[in-house]
Amino acid sequence: MKLRDRPEVDEGTPWVERETTIEASPEEVWEALTDEDRLEEWMAPEVELDPTEGGEISVRDGDDHRTGTVETVEEAERFAFTWSRPGEGESFVEFTIEALPGGSRVTVVETPIGPSAAAAGAWESRLARLARATRFALVA
Amino acid sequence: METLARGGTVTASGLAEQLPMTRQAVSKHLLALQGAELLSVSRIGRETHYELRPQPLDEAARWIQMVGAEWDERLDALRGSLENRGSASQ
Repeated sequence: MKLRDRPEVDEGTPWVERETTIEASPEEVWEALTDEDRLEEWMAPEVELDPTEGGEISVRDGDDHRTGTVETVEEAERFAFTWSRPGEGESFVEFTIEALPGGSRVTVVETPIGPSAAAAGAWESRLARLARATRFALVA
Repeated sequence: METLARGGTVTASGLAEQLPMTRQAVSKHLLALQGAELLSVSRIGRETHYELRPQPLDEAARWIQMVGAEWDERLDALRGSLENRGSASQ
């Protein structure tokens, strides 16, 4: 059961998806994603995590500190949480684990969901519509 | 957008002269860009001048690049921590 699905965002909200394949089973990957001592081996030097829905997450790398809430816990399949830096917009981070022959594919998607995300999405979708209507090349 | 990006500030009639569209059409497009906060607008005498503000585009691109790079690094570290288990450091 999960608290919510990955949020729907305005067409044009920037978001990031990355993946990797790992020679480890989904169960082994799950352990590394949800145990705070294991998380400190790869995510950040200091991690506190209560890996249950509604649980808190705290990720600290020197002065950079993010906190948030666990949203989804589907053992060996899906793990998601929100996080944000103090005073900044919130993002939704979702990991998905797929079994492969000899290992796993791990995908992570980070989607901004705070008010700044809405603003970013609104202008970019308007710009996209304008570009299609006028057939101008956009200067990046 | 390209015309704007090339040429500093422009006016609606100036743009219409350069582009294959009526002045009214140009004005509509400029209004849309303004609404998307991609143009800054100033009035000089009877003319309205428009200038491109590329920052919003840059900000999104920067965010994507920065956050993408962070996740690439973490996923590499995740893979390393899982594939190198059972060695001396365990």
